[in-house]
Amino acid sequence: MSVSFRESLARISVSLLAGALPAAGARAQSYGYGEPLRNDNFGPGFNYSQIDAALLVYQEGGGRVMAIEPTLDLSVHAADGRALTLSAAADAVSGATPNGAVPSDKPQNFVTPLKAAGSSTTVTSASGGSTVIQLPPTPGQAATAALGRQYTVAANTLPVDKGFHDHRAALGGGWTQPVGGITDMGFTLGYSRETDYQAITTSGHVDQTFNAGNTNVSLALNGEFDSSFPFGGIPAPLTPMNAQFKTPTSRNKTQAGFVLGLTEVMTRRWLLSLNYAFDNQSGYQSDPYRIISLVDPLNGEPVQSLYEGRPTKRTSQSIYWDNKIDWGPAVTDLSARYYTDSWGVRSSTVELDQRINLTPSIYIEPSVRWYDQKAASFFRYFLVQGQPMPAYASSDMRLGSFHALTYGAKFGLSLSKRSEIYLKAEYYHQGGAAHPAVAFGQLRQQDLFAGTNAAIAFIGYSWDFH
Amino acid sequence: MKWILPILALALSACAPLKDNFLGPQPYEKDLMARKEMQVDAYPFLTQAEEHIYFSKEASSGGRGFAGGGCGCN
Amino acid sequence: MDRDYHIGFSAMATPCEVRLETDDEGLAHRVAEAAEAEARRIEAKFSRYRSTSVVSQINRDGHCGLVVDEETANLLDCAAAFHLLSDGLFDVTSGVLRRVWKFDGSARVPDQEQVAAILPLVGWRKVKWDKPKLILPAGMELDFGGLAKEYAVDCVLSVVGRLAEAPALVNFGGDLAVTGPRHDGSPWTVAIESVDEPRRMAGLLELTAGALATSGDARRYLFKNGVRYCHILDPRTGWPVRDPPRSVTVAAATCIEAGLTATLAMLKGSEAEEFLKREEIKSWCIR
Repeated sequence: MSVSFRESLARISVSLLAGALPAAGARAQSYGYGEPLRNDNFGPGFNYSQIDAALLVYQEGGGRVMAIEPTLDLSVHAADGRALTLSAAADAVSGATPNGAVPSDKPQNFVTPLKAAGSSTTVTSASGGSTVIQLPPTPGQAATAALGRQYTVAANTLPVDKGFHDHRAALGGGWTQPVGGITDMGFTLGYSRETDYQAITTSGHVDQTFNAGNTNVSLALNGEFDSSFPFGGIPAPLTPMNAQFKTPTSRNKTQAGFVLGLTEVMTRRWLLSLNYAFDNQSGYQSDPYRIISLVDPLNGEPVQSLYEGRPTKRTSQSIYWDNKIDWGPAVTDLSARYYTDSWGVRSSTVELDQRINLTPSIYIEPSVRWYDQKAASFFRYFLVQGQPMPAYASSDMRLGSFHALTYGAKFGLSLSKRSEIYLKAEYYHQGGAAHPAVAFGQLRQQDLFAGTNAAIAFIGYSWDFH
Repeated sequence: MKWILPILALALSACAPLKDNFLGPQPYEKDLMARKEMQVDAYPFLTQAEEHIYFSKEASSGGRGFAGGGCGCN
Repeated sequence: MDRDYHIGFSAMATPCEVRLETDDEGLAHRVAEAAEAEARRIEAKFSRYRSTSVVSQINRDGHCGLVVDEETANLLDCAAAFHLLSDGLFDVTSGVLRRVWKFDGSARVPDQEQVAAILPLVGWRKVKWDKPKLILPAGMELDFGGLAKEYAVDCVLSVVGRLAEAPALVNFGGDLAVTGPRHDGSPWTVAIESVDEPRRMAGLLELTAGALATSGDARRYLFKNGVRYCHILDPRTGWPVRDPPRSVTVAAATCIEAGLTATLAMLKGSEAEEFLKREEIKSWCIR
């Protein structure tokens, strides 16, 4: 063929369509089609890898907890559905954290076991440094000089322990692939370790796509084995706070649960997800450093600090519903979650994220999250001396009744077709009853709500390569 | 607690008729689902970090497709 | 604000879709009516399943000699020219072979005698085509199956183009064409269906102009003694082509060009990729 095949064919086509197509000749010359499998496509059938490097900076108000956490995530997806993920994270947390006691109109002292010789224990601060104290020998034991750490909290302030300082490192990985007729099966493994806690996590999942790729149903089983080995040992619940080293030195907790998920492409623009999660935890679940105040029944003055105690069994269920809707220049993500557990906690969460593509390479994404929680049945702001001791009690605000609002915005910039840098800033605010009805005596004047306010910033770099 | 499962079943069956046509979008209509922002978890770091923060400050955990936890911020 | 109108209907035993980017709902309705009308017109005229179609008339009365209308004449010219360009591989008279080859997934492969008996009724050069007069020897049949859908896509696109200044895409079950890029300059994205798992996506293409057509054997074949006989028959021998790709998708300026090229690539069997590469045709083969 001296004239190229394409030219001859083009002439045939033009003759045929000349009657039907005006200016067919001109159109027949203007080709324009992109390469298949362009670099910015994701999902099943594509080969791509993604690296995410990011940094989280977290700062609570009032000189409380500060945390910095760098992370690195790598995921490699093959077109046939196999995928590998690896992740690493480290964090450094420091600052003051509420110890669980109520504020008093008089200064309060708290005593905890002393860290090993060689580590610094003093904090110079006007409203409560820690000092090393000599403890009287325990009756019946050899008169060795025991040392403890004592810190004082000023009147009318929320008692916090300023000596809080911890490092954590975590590694995780996962593998997933199609198996026989099953769309996808995989597992993950994770390990997290900090000075006084270790967690080993594992999960396995199976998922199946059908209905022309529009429906995906999944089942994930997950398990975790945690060990808590707090400095100073594990205290017996609802016993007085002291500087002794306690036994046992460590206790464990196991968790097992499953998540049933449904993801459905509802229309060309709307992706829906629905998850049901069930979880069962058994073992040691108390916070070994946390106390609850025992107050005088007449005036509400704290007279003693007791270690908290939480039940050793906890069963929970939640339903999570997410919608992603693509309007074109904007994508909305609206989700809701309802959670309930055997400790009596009930919570509702609603999140709304609105991503707006200002240009093909710049987007902003304002977001808001509403959260409301009802307290655990054993949550107490304080215990009253002389009243019968409950089996379990904790004043950890994390288990209390409160509502929280997070609002923030994310800003993203594509540095190239395949890489993106993003910055997200959020403000998290918890609000709750400062003067609950149970307060009496001096407690009425105190702000008993120990919730958190925190400013959170993330900066991340995401790089996709195909 | 008992009512969660029947509601889930109802939601699952209710999904069926809400489509463009009987089977849902055809393969050639799923172009938008390939965009990064429509992936179920396009920014895993952000999701994990936020889940970690909420896990340490609130009593509820997980739900998104994995159970929460994995650290000692108990 | 522009909206993406999806117009869907069924024609030529295929789900048909027209997409239009416009803010004028009235226009979308007019385009929908016109597109569907044009698709049905072409189906009614060229389908061999309709007894009133021009093709059925030709097959019934062709041996007496007929004068055909301009549109049919253009299609016959196209068929003739492509028959020459493809060295006889593309042949609109090869339809009669379906009398002995029934691709139903079974193992009923015809034997030599059966094929030899029907082969004399195949062959474009036996047809007397002298525009506008057509004489079809007795027993022979014309089948525009390899042309009609792609031709319809091009015609419907021009109908839509004349009615609306808006960006549009016409897609008849995977054979599609666009007027140009979308309003914001971005391409139309189209998914290529996987051959092994029907309705699973094998890839995604982006189109800013021109057309796409796919030829494939997804569900029509015979399987006997470990050999797969695909439904692409070589009109010169009466037997299936050796080792064709499972699917070929071709991009070209018009749907008819894309469709004819894809069909020819399949007919080249094991040499499909070589042919496409040699002629520098934008295409994707799945084996």
